[in-house]
Amino acid sequence: MKFVFSEIAQGFRRNLSMVVSVVLVTFISLTFVGTASLLQMQIGQMKNYWYDRAQVAVYMCSDVSASDVCPQGEASDDLKAAVKEKLESKTLSEYIDKYYFEDHEQAYKTFQDQFEGNAVAKYVTANQLNETYWVKLKDSTQSQIITESFTGVAGVEEVRDQRSYLDQIFSILNAASLAAIGIATLMLFSAALLISTTIRLSAFSRRRELGIMRLVGASNFYIQLPFILEGVMAATIGSVLAGGAVLAIVQFFVQGYLAERLPFTSFVGLTDGLLVVPMLIAAGIVLAALASGLAIRRYLRI
Amino acid sequence: MISISNVSKQYKGSPRPALNNVSLEVEKGDFVFLVGASGSGKSSLMRLMLREDVPTKGSVHVLGENLVGIPSRRVPFFRRRLGVVFQDFRLLPNKTVAQNIAFSLEVIGKSQGFIQEAVPEVLRLVGLDGKADRLPSELSGGEQQRVALARAIVNKPALLLADEPTGNLDPSTSQDIMALIERINLAGTTVIMATHDRGIVDRLKKRVVELKDGEIIRDQVGGSY
Repeated sequence: MKFVFSEIAQGFRRNLSMVVSVVLVTFISLTFVGTASLLQMQIGQMKNYWYDRAQVAVYMCSDVSASDVCPQGEASDDLKAAVKEKLESKTLSEYIDKYYFEDHEQAYKTFQDQFEGNAVAKYVTANQLNETYWVKLKDSTQSQIITESFTGVAGVEEVRDQRSYLDQIFSILNAASLAAIGIATLMLFSAALLISTTIRLSAFSRRRELGIMRLVGASNFYIQLPFILEGVMAATIGSVLAGGAVLAIVQFFVQGYLAERLPFTSFVGLTDGLLVVPMLIAAGIVLAALASGLAIRRYLRI
Repeated sequence: MISISNVSKQYKGSPRPALNNVSLEVEKGDFVFLVGASGSGKSSLMRLMLREDVPTKGSVHVLGENLVGIPSRRVPFFRRRLGVVFQDFRLLPNKTVAQNIAFSLEVIGKSQGFIQEAVPEVLRLVGLDGKADRLPSELSGGEQQRVALARAIVNKPALLLADEPTGNLDPSTSQDIMALIERINLAGTTVIMATHDRGIVDRLKKRVVELKDGEIIRDQVGGSY
């Protein structure tokens, strides 16, 4: 064992610059992997949070609705009552958690709150805003039922699932995390190549010892072990740094910056970060062991 | 001890075989000189006995191992049972004499206790006591070859393969080295020695196997060059 460690120390000293580059490349690529997986976790959390709150809006016809869907103009009280009756009917009510009706005045108030200070708020009148039945489903994925029941019904202008807005946001976030994973894969590949080059260089600079070791009958495992450990140790340093970087991002950027500015969103925390770190370190170690093991085997066969 | 039968070795890109239908039997305790011009096949034969190469045809048995069929993970364990010396000594330049010998014991997993006992003992045997802490560059050629011999026999091998061990040494130093190898042989170790040195072969009157163009043309007990 003493021999093995002195060999590793010698190897590190002999090609320090290569070892440093292995450390850096694994550090950066695993930081990408860690960030991408945290982003995936974040998307999952936000989906849970927002999908739970997503409602289906049944917009009733107003004076300004297009005449092809609303030929009768403003929906009459009878038509509104018909929609309400249908929402309370046996077939639909078992899917619905709760619903409420928003009339012109309430819609106007919500609109003014949302667009306070915006020029558009001055020009909008209460009559231009739809009266709406907001429906909260027990299972927000079943919005299809409401859409099918009310689309085309007299007095209904449009049925809209809020999830369709959310899906756009999530697909953007998803694309970002996929891009990060793509970059990370590419970098991990180059890290593997770099590790195997480093190991081959290290073996070349020790070819005299290697020749003598084989001559006196050192087992293959004994010959290869220092090289594999050299790669693994360099990669471990890189992955520990990457783990630290991921935790720092969670602590200082997500919790310290984002969470303070967006108080109504739940963000990934240190517990999620601590879940990712061992994964990163394990990935770094496995990658390095495979890359250096293959490199030294190929080198020794020749 | 060694049984080589009908062995041929053809290297890629070479028109004629390095060894052509060679058969050789060596008994325990024998001392055999392999002689012949450069390119006659001596080194090829040594490489086969060390299992650095496998023959194209024929079979090689050394120390009870079938070297053609032996799985590569068993090769290191086979090599621990024999000693090898070369013309160029093959010592590690940045390790002292004692460390060079200890290294070959460390890498096969011997205990520190064993190493501390075996190294001074073998250095005394080859006449190098007192030089344990020298670097190879501070030694003469003859002394370096003694270190190489010490390393080869520290494990008490049953077989010593010597590939022109005196090739880089002057005649009187060569005699000292040969005296040492003879002593190793008298202690029971079988010796196979490839050499160009006519004087040594003629003086020792041992079994001589002569190779020419990859074939054995003479196998004579008590022969000369």
